[in-house]
Amino acid sequence: MNSEDPKKADFSNVESGGSSTAPHAPTPPAESPPTEMAYTVSAGDSLSVIAKKVYGDANKWRLIFEANTDQIKDPDLIHPGQILKIPAA
Amino acid sequence: MMRLRSIARLGRFATVVTLAMLAFAGCAKKEEAAPPPVAEAPKVVPFRVVSMDLGKQLDASMRVVQSSALFGVRDTIHLAIASEGSSPSVTLRAVWKFEDGQTVGDDAQGLAPTGPAQTEFHILNKLPWPKGKYNVELFADTTSAGRKEFIVQ
Repeated sequence: MNSEDPKKADFSNVESGGSSTAPHAPTPPAESPPTEMAYTVSAGDSLSVIAKKVYGDANKWRLIFEANTDQIKDPDLIHPGQILKIPAA
Repeated sequence: MMRLRSIARLGRFATVVTLAMLAFAGCAKKEEAAPPPVAEAPKVVPFRVVSMDLGKQLDASMRVVQSSALFGVRDTIHLAIASEGSSPSVTLRAVWKFEDGQTVGDDAQGLAPTGPAQTEFHILNKLPWPKGKYNVELFADTTSAGRKEFIVQ
């Protein structure tokens, strides 16, 4: 049974947009995660690589290490597929 | 005799010194009297929407060629906005609605205007527009800057 109202106007094919002669406002820089998030380790990742990806600063790798001491004993040894906690910066 | 000459010389010297001091004081006074010109701070005009026009076509300067509130079922509908003033960041948002309250289109542009500007929003439909009454409301950030009604017939 089709629950859609057959009399309801259909606007699913509408496209919209716009432009301006005014300069566009600068887009804010990517923010650090506001709260803790999860990150799945990929091949080639290291803590500093992940820190660069999520915080924009490779030097913050220690934050990730300290949040995951339950599963990381050696900061130079993480495995693909491992799910790490990424704390807010 | 020698003494009288010395006194006369001293008198002349004192006169010269006094005149020199008066001249210097005069110059200093003149400098004080003419303060350096103070550059006027440029007047900052806050951003505001000056006008909103609907039309079927825009010209190269983003103004509608002919203002209209009546459209055909195959028309592209343009909203041209003239604004003035400056803002480091203002979001213009156009919300298009059909008479039954359905949102037809919703677009926003983050702008940093520095003076008079033209901005446009448009909607087009791959299918014929349902006939009826529509409206578009423009917001500058969260404040309504105006609303236009139009009819598709």
